[in-house]
Amino acid sequence: MAVQPMQIREGSPQHWVLRGLGTVLVVGGLLLVATKASDGFISDVTQALILAVAAMSLNLVLGYTGMISIGHSAFFGIGAYTSAICVSRYHWNPWLTFVAGFVVAFVIGMVVSLPALRIKGIYLALVTLSLALVFPAFIKWKRLEWFTGGTAGLQKTTFNPKMRRFEILGHDFFGNLRSVGGKTVFYYWIAVVLAVVGYVICRGIVKSRVGRSLVAIRDNETAAAVMGVPLARTRALVFGVSAGVCSLGGAWTALFLGNIRPADTGVMALEGAITFLIIMVIGGAGHLWGPIVGAFAYVMVSSSMSDWDNDSKIPGLLRPFLAWSKVPPATGVFAVALVVLMFVAPFGLVGLWNRMARRLVAIVPTPAGSAAPTVAEELPGPFEPTDTTTPEGDE
Amino acid sequence: MSDPLLTVTGLRAGYGPVQVLDDIHLEVNEGEVVVILGANGAGKTTTMRAVSGTIPRRGSIVFRGQDITSVGPEVIVRAGIALVPQGRGTFPELSVEDNLRAGAYTRRDNIAADITRWFDVFPRLAERRQQKAGQMSGGEQQMLAIARALMSRPKLLLCDEPSLGLAPLITKELFRHLEDLNREEGLSILLVEQNANLAIHMADRVYLLETGRVVGSGTGATLQNDESVRKAYLGF
Amino acid sequence: MARFLQYLFDGVGNGSVYALLALGLVIIYRGTGHLNFAHGEMALLCTYVILQIHQWGLPVGLALPLGMVFGFGLGAVTEVALVRPIGKKSPFAVFIVTIALFTGLNWLCGAIWGSVALPTAAPGKAVSYPKLWEVGDRFVRIGGATWRYKYITLLAVVLVLAVLLWLLFSYTRLGLAMRAVASNAGSAELVGIKTSRVLMISWGLAVAIGALGGFMIAGLVNQVNLTLMLTPFLYASAAATLGGFDSPGGAVFAGLFLGVVESMVSQYQPTWVGNEMKQAVALLIILVVLLVRPSGLFGTSKVERV
Repeated sequence: MAVQPMQIREGSPQHWVLRGLGTVLVVGGLLLVATKASDGFISDVTQALILAVAAMSLNLVLGYTGMISIGHSAFFGIGAYTSAICVSRYHWNPWLTFVAGFVVAFVIGMVVSLPALRIKGIYLALVTLSLALVFPAFIKWKRLEWFTGGTAGLQKTTFNPKMRRFEILGHDFFGNLRSVGGKTVFYYWIAVVLAVVGYVICRGIVKSRVGRSLVAIRDNETAAAVMGVPLARTRALVFGVSAGVCSLGGAWTALFLGNIRPADTGVMALEGAITFLIIMVIGGAGHLWGPIVGAFAYVMVSSSMSDWDNDSKIPGLLRPFLAWSKVPPATGVFAVALVVLMFVAPFGLVGLWNRMARRLVAIVPTPAGSAAPTVAEELPGPFEPTDTTTPEGDE
Repeated sequence: MSDPLLTVTGLRAGYGPVQVLDDIHLEVNEGEVVVILGANGAGKTTTMRAVSGTIPRRGSIVFRGQDITSVGPEVIVRAGIALVPQGRGTFPELSVEDNLRAGAYTRRDNIAADITRWFDVFPRLAERRQQKAGQMSGGEQQMLAIARALMSRPKLLLCDEPSLGLAPLITKELFRHLEDLNREEGLSILLVEQNANLAIHMADRVYLLETGRVVGSGTGATLQNDESVRKAYLGF
Repeated sequence: MARFLQYLFDGVGNGSVYALLALGLVIIYRGTGHLNFAHGEMALLCTYVILQIHQWGLPVGLALPLGMVFGFGLGAVTEVALVRPIGKKSPFAVFIVTIALFTGLNWLCGAIWGSVALPTAAPGKAVSYPKLWEVGDRFVRIGGATWRYKYITLLAVVLVLAVLLWLLFSYTRLGLAMRAVASNAGSAELVGIKTSRVLMISWGLAVAIGALGGFMIAGLVNQVNLTLMLTPFLYASAAATLGGFDSPGGAVFAGLFLGVVESMVSQYQPTWVGNEMKQAVALLIILVVLLVRPSGLFGTSKVERV
């Protein structure tokens, strides 16, 4: 039963209505969470937003450029430690440390990606893997203890309560938006802003000429070089921006925790990098909304399973299958999900959604993305075999 | 007349969604040299691959009374067909001697005698027996590829453009070897060759291929005298 | 001099394990062109299995070969069921699958044998590992340095295994087939080699060797925990890079060499390098090798297949 998809011309009023609808849904949802949800739920959403920022940055590198990185946890950590050191040792205004973290991570990201001009594929993966393993060791390094705080970590790495006010023209902006628990909602709103900033940066790059050349590089390096895409510069630049975006999430983490120790921040170690990767793939690599959807799926699943090591907490139906596990099964579930996705839907949840939505609504003629995920037509992701049909309407 | 050695009927094959061979019919008799001529993209190499079993195919391929249409390459090698692929396809990191050993992979009997024998036939290989195949010249690698194919003691040798990238003198030497093998050993040969002038001389029979179909066939001598064939394939 | 010898002996101990893991990485890479990121965790699972079998009452001498057989099956199944079908889609997808295996197997170990798994939280508690060799802590004294019997055994095992593998590659039909497939898979098919079976055996063999490596490192530190294989895997990949990803001999040499380097820099420079920055040394080596000589010391320059 082949239903002809409804055709909507791009930029037409109907298209804008769809976009508007999507925006309203997202903004409304965010407001609803801030005002009505419990503290626990707000924390989950906040965590998802921060993970989404990190996964977005990884998506920029892996999803669009095809450079493998298992080292983004280090950039996350760089953001966290830059922010923590600036606030704790030099008493900076915490707001500024987001910028500082971005700059530091940008520079380090560029430097790390320099070998990537010669190194490809698994070799770059190896370099970034060792980066992920070295970073936690580096911050514990005795020689730098005076600076990084060593294993003891850094204290008072946060806003002082007065600074949590954010006044615009004498109007306490956050105060008005803060309605459940003060601190929780405050950090929630920062996370929202960071996610929007991250999204806008990624979207800006992806939709620009540079973005098109990124995909060209990913899909065929030689062809891209022949077409005059400055391979080396583009790659280094994008890797730098990606590291910078990732660091925003780290800076938020340092400010949120209030003190930071190497031992209790798993996101800065290899497991963080792998988490970002899982999120990106589940959501849909090479799709702008992929990391965001993936992050929410990830947080919801892992938080609902977090106490399943206690067998009585497992829902009765699942108990016989999962009771043997001595730890919460979330990680195992994600690992299996990853493998299954590679078989049935390498384009991830958003890719899947796009495929289904396209049967109902087709946006003609050129792509320009939109805030509504329902109509975000995009270039194919990196895991899709080249001989499948590319989404119609591209170019 | 007895049954032909190889009978191909209604062969279709290709790569993924692209079908290259439409409807190929050809035969090779015991002791014959059969040459396939055709322009680039006509499907010569694809035919060779289909017969040797390395790509999916439909139709019917019968070799010495055995249907080999749907079996894997290792069964086909065992049955007695060996392919010398285009671009030689030696094992560059392996020594000359190991290349020959690998060629005899399907055999469980003593292969030392065969190695000595092909070293006698191709003395240049004997000089380089411990050298890595990848370090030899193109002509030497082509000899090695042929010797390796012969190590499986085939009844039918498939040769895909053996002269590609070789100097004329080397090509001549190579074809002399192939003719000797055919005459002295009774080896049947199915040959794809760009250098039609050279190939047609040693051919018992010739097939002309165009866009995945056989468009003509005949003995080497008849085709050589056919005006249109001469223009299209021999260039004079 | 005594110090130097001591550090050398210590380094060769760890280096033997790196060499074993690197061997597995190289065997897999040569065959299928993939870097198996789950190699360390596969070895970890095998190590737990060996421990389990031992705890059920079998002697170590029996538990170890059984664990290696398990490892062979694990590798072979991975190749047949996951890597081969997904590799047809894209090499990227294989990378994702090896990462999924990395975290999934680590979780599985935690789920079965307890402790907290990646990526939710920190390293887990240690399980005491059975005494591997009855030698205990005995040692020989050479030039003022002590060389523990277990390090000597380790080195001997690695060297014997290297010789066995060399014999396998050089003088057996299977070895010839493995080399042929690594060199030119298309032609290997044409001479009648069943490439699919060779690749399956390669993965199996590699993980079986990894199981031996995991068992040995667990024996060295007398425990198994979920982070046991992280550093050894990093060093093993550094060794594979240094030796050249397609050279088994290079992997063994580079593994031993890196073990010694690690031991020397961390003990001669306890404050500058020490235990924390040992891994940075591995990173540095990977980087320098990749920039200066991407094919490694003993590799051929045919690299970068992904």
